Amino acid sequence: MPKPSPDLTSLICDIALYDSENAYEKLFKSLFPALYRFCNCLLKSRELAEEVANDVMITLWKNRKKLPEVQNIKVYAFVIARNLCLNSLNKHARKELIFLEDIEVQIVLDTLNPEQILINDELKKKLEQATESLPNRCKLVFKLIKEDGLSYKQTADILNISTKTVDAHLVTAVKKLTAVLKVEFNLM
Amino acid sequence: MKRSRIIELLARKMAGEATQRELEELTELINSFPDAVYYDEVLQQIWLNSDEGPDSCPDIDRIYQCHKLKFYDELVTPEQENPVPVLSQYKKLSGALLALCILFFIGIFYLGHKDNEVFNTQIIAGKGVRKNVKLPDGTVVWLNADSKLSYNTAINHKDVRVVHLTGEAFFDVAHRQSHPFIVRTDKISIKVLGTAFNVKAYPVDEKSVATLLRGSIELSVNKNSSQKIILNPLEKFVLDDDKQGVMKMDEQDMSLMIEHIVPVRIGNYEYIEEVSWKNNTLVFHNETFEDLKPRMERWFNIRVHLNSEKAKSYRFTGVFKNENIKEALTAMQLIKPFTFNLKAHDVIIY
Repeated sequence: MPKPSPDLTSLICDIALYDSENAYEKLFKSLFPALYRFCNCLLKSRELAEEVANDVMITLWKNRKKLPEVQNIKVYAFVIARNLCLNSLNKHARKELIFLEDIEVQIVLDTLNPEQILINDELKKKLEQATESLPNRCKLVFKLIKEDGLSYKQTADILNISTKTVDAHLVTAVKKLTAVLKVEFNLM
Repeated sequence: MKRSRIIELLARKMAGEATQRELEELTELINSFPDAVYYDEVLQQIWLNSDEGPDSCPDIDRIYQCHKLKFYDELVTPEQENPVPVLSQYKKLSGALLALCILFFIGIFYLGHKDNEVFNTQIIAGKGVRKNVKLPDGTVVWLNADSKLSYNTAINHKDVRVVHLTGEAFFDVAHRQSHPFIVRTDKISIKVLGTAFNVKAYPVDEKSVATLLRGSIELSVNKNSSQKIILNPLEKFVLDDDKQGVMKMDEQDMSLMIEHIVPVRIGNYEYIEEVSWKNNTLVFHNETFEDLKPRMERWFNIRVHLNSEKAKSYRFTGVFKNENIKEALTAMQLIKPFTFNLKAHDVIIY
């Protein structure tokens, strides 16, 4: 679920016009967790993810004069994050180029609320197993939409695909989940 | 067919991408296929809890602080990029100077205290009590009456084993290659590797005495630590601090003395006066009553008042082993004529 984020556009204005560090701090706090999560799922390393997410933020600060021209700051940040993550992976792999499709993405279905009797541990495991077999890009779409509350358009921009493809990926992912439920609850 | 349509619509609903018409269609479909409610519910639960994943970072404030430190150079606001007014330049300079000064003093403070190490254990032998302790490194220490030994329990793990002594103690140092053992007193420091020696440094005494039984020790006077004195077995070093005013550190001026220890023969036995105390024997050889007074005070835990000038210059030679103060004084009366009055812990001699 997207958190009620502060008005990013006005923050960007403050940063670009007045070099407001205060506004930057707010921007940092609203964007960093999502960026970190995204990087962590691509890089599979908390340390690297934190580093890259930090780099993304400082890149925003360095380019602050141009930020008002950016249509969607969130997408812009995610694209920077995606590129930096791929750079980092390619640098470490050295041998061949790594593409977004190659990156194994893990979907964790967290149900921490004890009141939720419907989803027990076993079901959760089954659901996660079901999503395991999905293509990586599909998982990534699912993750971005579900965890970061991004729209189809934003997701499409970040992953450089069309909104139709995003929709298709998401439907595939949800289908996998419901297939498990169908068996589990003996549904239609 | 219907099922896959439901799923498609559910996915869009979750993503917040479903149009009004699609939502209506979904409600209709769920009404005709009540089972589909389960999909809706479970998916909604999965969706809702995504935020609290283990990947989320709650410590955002700390991360921002780190971020600020890491990119300090980029983040400094452009005030500093513009030409800085002279006044604030001075401010910056004075700030830097202040920081330097503070660092300097901290440094001095640290250096000054480095020698003192951290002593976390203290062994105290009160008056009239002698103690025998074994330090963690295996060194055996006999602590004479009215003495204090401080050391760190981690002495074993240090490069240099340092203890601080006030009073008198006999050390039988466990030999450790490249881990010197250092005894510090207020006036002298003794560095050894593995030997047996006695150090006497009572604050009230003017003399500090180090007596070496075996091995060798390197000794330095705290006031002049660059000058090292090597002591050979059966030698004793005496620092007489009598002349307080002397500033020049010549051997003569400081009244350093190195003498050979001569065992004292009393009765049929030979005693080494300096170290016999550790065998619970108080040995004195041709000593004036005045010199003997502090030793007896410590030994018997009493206070001696020498009220007779004549008695002060009496010289005694003798050995006390298990005698109490009354027996000791009675024995001494046999040698020289004096009378004493014993009251609790006070002895008055006249």
